[in-house]
Amino acid sequence: MQPLPIFELRRVTVRYGALTALQDVSLRIEAGERVALIGPSGAGKSTLLGVLNGSIAPTSGEVRLLGQNPARLSARALRHVQRQIGTIYQQFNLVPNLSVIHNVNAGHLGRWSLAKAVLSLVVPLEREAAVRALENVGIADKLYERTANLSGGQQQRVAIARVLVQNPVAILADEPISSVDPERSREIMTLLRALCDRFDKTLVVSLHALEYAYSHCDRIVGLREGRVQFDLPTDQVTPAMMEALYRIRA
Amino acid sequence: MSSSLGTPLVTLQATLPWRSVLNGARLVAFAALLAFVWSAVQVGLFRGDLVNAGGWALVQQFFAAALRPELSTDFLLLTLEATLVTFAYAIGGLALSLVIGSLGGLLSSEVWWQARRPKARLLSSPWLIARGALVVPRAIHEAIWGLFLVRILGLDPLVAILALGIPFGAITAKVFSEILDETPRDALRALLNSGVPPARAMLYGLLPRALPNLISYSFYRLECAIRSATVLGVIGAGGLGYQILLSLQSLRYQEMWTLMAALLVLSGLTDWLSARIRQALGAPTRLELNAGADCASEAAARARATSGSRTLLGLLAAALVLTPLAFWYVQPDPSRLFAPHTTMLLGDMLRQMFPPDLSPANALTLLNLAAQTLAMSVFAIALAGLFGILLAYPAARPARHTRRAMFTYGIARAFLLFCRAIPAPVWALLILFIIFPGPLPGALAIGVHNLGILGRLIAEAVENADKRPVRALQHAGVPSAQAFLYGGLPMTLPQSLAYIFYRWENCMRETVIIGFVGAGGLGRLLTEQLSSFDYSGVTATLIMLLILTFAVDVLSNTARRAIR
Repeated sequence: MQPLPIFELRRVTVRYGALTALQDVSLRIEAGERVALIGPSGAGKSTLLGVLNGSIAPTSGEVRLLGQNPARLSARALRHVQRQIGTIYQQFNLVPNLSVIHNVNAGHLGRWSLAKAVLSLVVPLEREAAVRALENVGIADKLYERTANLSGGQQQRVAIARVLVQNPVAILADEPISSVDPERSREIMTLLRALCDRFDKTLVVSLHALEYAYSHCDRIVGLREGRVQFDLPTDQVTPAMMEALYRIRA
Repeated sequence: MSSSLGTPLVTLQATLPWRSVLNGARLVAFAALLAFVWSAVQVGLFRGDLVNAGGWALVQQFFAAALRPELSTDFLLLTLEATLVTFAYAIGGLALSLVIGSLGGLLSSEVWWQARRPKARLLSSPWLIARGALVVPRAIHEAIWGLFLVRILGLDPLVAILALGIPFGAITAKVFSEILDETPRDALRALLNSGVPPARAMLYGLLPRALPNLISYSFYRLECAIRSATVLGVIGAGGLGYQILLSLQSLRYQEMWTLMAALLVLSGLTDWLSARIRQALGAPTRLELNAGADCASEAAARARATSGSRTLLGLLAAALVLTPLAFWYVQPDPSRLFAPHTTMLLGDMLRQMFPPDLSPANALTLLNLAAQTLAMSVFAIALAGLFGILLAYPAARPARHTRRAMFTYGIARAFLLFCRAIPAPVWALLILFIIFPGPLPGALAIGVHNLGILGRLIAEAVENADKRPVRALQHAGVPSAQAFLYGGLPMTLPQSLAYIFYRWENCMRETVIIGFVGAGGLGRLLTEQLSSFDYSGVTATLIMLLILTFAVDVLSNTARRAIR
């Protein structure tokens, strides 16, 4: 029997009022894949990632996250599925006035009891796990630093450490390098790819910078105006396809 | 080449279009002016015989006594005890209000319910129900709560603590929910999307970010609580307000000055402490109204690195020590809440309160007095707003600490502190020396008291305003008065006006306590009805007050939006 795919979308459409963000998207992502989502602004990349982490419900079509249909799940059961899916955001989505360790520990929250969560805000718990995660992203020395005092690249590393602590099956990254300078972009992408290889995670990453789609991913999904234009292994994507994807319609 | 020197860089060729003269802000300004004129007529500013010439002698005696305050050991001990009582009431009431406010604030915040039930449609909005439930306790002044509770619970410190805690709790809940709803939600959303249950997600993703603003507002409430505890003293709960009233009525002005000095020290210390703590937490203003709130405080939070967590622990420790101490000092008797006698009295009172007296005669009286009350509040806030703005600029910490600037600054600050530390009813009694009873002295008293509060709030807005535009003008050689007119004033005016409209709501509430000392309006009627046990009349008056408070609330919100 074939192993279950991590994500499966069948003819998914998402509409916000009159606006169609995704149109008839079908997609299947297997365990261990590294997938790049590319396309111009407004193509539906963020919406697609929202569908994949269970925060956006499709207007029509069917979604399977780790084999489960989020529309049929109770809030509690949906949270169980979502714990297996970690997301990294363009704007980091960290709490700026907490120290780094608390932002990293937020990755435990799905498993921690409320009491433990409260206690840890006073006396930080599971410090070893936090230090290990921060070592993996290369900023172990920032453990007690205020998050707001870190640079953009460092904050994105904190967000990655949070996902490592969450320890999901799949990592989604929504333009993780768009708020980071070009130097740091390569470092972050390389780190992300290396961590996924090492800890055996599935990776879906939306990107503006095409070169990283080629260099860091095995498969590229091209989106335009909410539709999948192509979905191919990286070595089969031609420059002409890219150009067609980004061409401004006359 | 030399001819080009005189040529202006900008030349106009076409005729310029006129901007429409009517816009939201101007309409508000025009309406405000009309309202002010109307209120001045209503409170009787243009009637003859305003000033009681015989009163000047008393005023002279009163101010002469300031030079010789009563300093005997006995009286100083009494003053100390009264101060501690007032402070303990304030702390007890504040503690209760923060418990109510935190729970109520969470339940009436949109973000909490949306985090709990992400799939629910917008039609069902439980937070609106919670907000609605808080409206009535909020609109009733703590002094009225006090008078009601004292009838039911008897004379006990519990009355003062509940009378402060209930309305303050409802007000705090409203503001807390607004703070929570305005805090950026990206971190919260990230946690919710990764399967974290709502309570834990709020704890890590939203609360830490909202905390500086929540604490800063709580300290503002402490300042308010001390003022209100003093007012409750005036109506009989003991403490500084009560002693001031006693000394004033028995014409012992020297004693009164000692007591007022104690009140000034207490208020001044609280203000100072609250400013220090806000600074340490990086939340620059005590209450943020209108635009740009979060950006400003976050920038400040970033600037002031890590002293925040130590301050937080200190605050927590102080709260854990002070609250039990306050309760121990005044010894409230919570068993009264559940005594059968209490239930009986409450039942009796409720039976007599309904149905309310809405007979045509009473309704007409109510409408007349409502107009008078409204006029008092408008006149008071106009006075407070005008002089508040004028005094706020000298009362803002000067950029250059020259001796003259610091002197003006000190005087202006002290004057504002004096105005706001003296409770409005005491101001009313003082003003009654020289102005014949009626709505005018009441309006003046509320105006003077709020002038102190507004001046301070606006001064803070002035201090926090971006200094660069004014500096740019000064560097371009613009004289300071003109730089103020084109830089300083427009930079701060929207915030100042927002504060003025916000305080208008408070002036409306305060007309009630002025009524207690006989200064007219619905408050006076309420006092008469309460003392003659006319409870169905009381209900009718309360309904009228509620309507008036909501009307002012809505108007003030609309105006604040129009000038934003």
